Amino acid sequence: MNTLANTLGQFSAVIRTCAEFEQDALVCPNYPAQRGVGVYRNNYRGNLHDTLAGAYPVIRQLVGEEFFRLLAKRFIEQHPSRSGNLHRYGGEMAEFLAHFENTRHLAYLPDMARLEWAYHRAYFADDAARFDLTRLASVPPESYAGLRWQLHPSCTLLATAFPVAAIWRAHQESAGADFNIDLDSGGDNLLVYRNGLSVNIIDIPAASLHWLEQLRQDIGMGAATESTLAAYPEFDLGTALQHWLANGVLVDFETLNATPAQAGVQLFNDTGFRPAPE
Amino acid sequence: MMNTPASKSLPHIAGIGLRAPHYLEVLEQRPALGWVEVHSENFFGGGAPLHTLLQVAQHYPVSLHGVGMGLASPDPLDAGHLRELRRLCDTVDPASVSEHLCWNTAGGIAINDLLPFPYTRDALSHVSERVRQVQDVLGRRILIENLSYYVAFRESEMREEEFLSELVARTGCGILFDVNNLFVNAVNLGVDAQAFIHGIPAEAVGEYHLAGPSLMDGCLVDTHSARVFDEAWALYEDALQHIGKRPTLIEWDVEIPALSVIQDEARKAQLRMDAL
Repeated sequence: MNTLANTLGQFSAVIRTCAEFEQDALVCPNYPAQRGVGVYRNNYRGNLHDTLAGAYPVIRQLVGEEFFRLLAKRFIEQHPSRSGNLHRYGGEMAEFLAHFENTRHLAYLPDMARLEWAYHRAYFADDAARFDLTRLASVPPESYAGLRWQLHPSCTLLATAFPVAAIWRAHQESAGADFNIDLDSGGDNLLVYRNGLSVNIIDIPAASLHWLEQLRQDIGMGAATESTLAAYPEFDLGTALQHWLANGVLVDFETLNATPAQAGVQLFNDTGFRPAPE
Repeated sequence: MMNTPASKSLPHIAGIGLRAPHYLEVLEQRPALGWVEVHSENFFGGGAPLHTLLQVAQHYPVSLHGVGMGLASPDPLDAGHLRELRRLCDTVDPASVSEHLCWNTAGGIAINDLLPFPYTRDALSHVSERVRQVQDVLGRRILIENLSYYVAFRESEMREEEFLSELVARTGCGILFDVNNLFVNAVNLGVDAQAFIHGIPAEAVGEYHLAGPSLMDGCLVDTHSARVFDEAWALYEDALQHIGKRPTLIEWDVEIPALSVIQDEARKAQLRMDAL
């Protein structure tokens, strides 16, 4: 096994870098071994480049195909693949772009990379069954605070510094190409997720973003709501809960044994909201 | 030994590799395709890809063909990858499941390709153990495909067909005989194609693959980008004679043409099967 691990570790380095096999390790009767190695080197860079181009189509449009090739080459050198599943490759692009000397002046690119990665991951994310509202109806309201909600596996919440959703939309084939976007017009609060089969990028209120992010922290709905109300007094739990259930963002919950603090939270106002089974 | 029969099996006729550009046409027009094969990893997770495959599976027998398991990798098998494949099998109930005789991950770094390794006795024990692991988790027999490769290792202690035969004996797996891979290896590396055809256990062969390579810089590269070469058809005929009729797949992955072109190649395979 050691021998196999050594040989293949060496082969890996030969493919990814300009390292060479020791003389006579390879047998190629009809052409120099270097040519055979070249096929693997080309495949390696080509596959990863194409994967990045598939995951980051808008960035590729923004910087141009030729520059994207250079960018991908550098990215590949710094971030080798870690999975046999290529759909997982390329997640470090935002961070890479933030430090890449040739794109540092395009300050909105990392935000765009975050958005495109969220879209890419949402496309391949697991399915989740829609939440059955009758389950909630069986939970006594005093236990609501202890509910731990699970978001759809495709969800990414993004608060960006730049208006990347508008730029993204302008670069879709179906768009009327409105490139009149003021980069200084402020950032987006976005939810990227799959509703049914299609991936959606939707602008959501900052309060909702905060609340959903809190729910993601695996804390009860009571604590999440308290934290949201502290920052956004206008937040309305009843509306939010109903909305995110109806839109397939909240897909499941676990009931916690409510701690006294959670149980004490006044979750709903006098209207006594309970989502009606549809 | 793994003897659990799959609940379904591929028909012994020609099928095609189904790729994204043809999904819509296949679902809307339901052309006469014997069966279809897809790359397993493209359907890990859910959403549109899986939804499409499940629709396809209602009309055609489906074969799941993995490109990312890395059976010969020195690193441990990726348990998450295997779990995803198991889940996909449970969801799709495929007629066949196959993987390649290759590696892809060493020292935590993956090369997303189908890479050759030295055919040594150590490697045989290693790969056998992992084929058993995969078959145990999937609860079914899998087919292992012979590889196209561009370099061979001096360390090798046996030929690929000897390695495969021994793998079959040790694990009960089947063989996916890629005729084009053999043709490519014969041209590039002087592999003895007849010795391969006669060297693998005929009864273990569960499927054939056919595709067209491209010539780059004096090296025949297995690009799946052309019609099947005449020399590969000739080897296919030899295989039919010696091994027998098996489900036969036409693969096309680069510069994918109209579906009718691939169907045309499938018809040529079918004619050769019918002529037996």
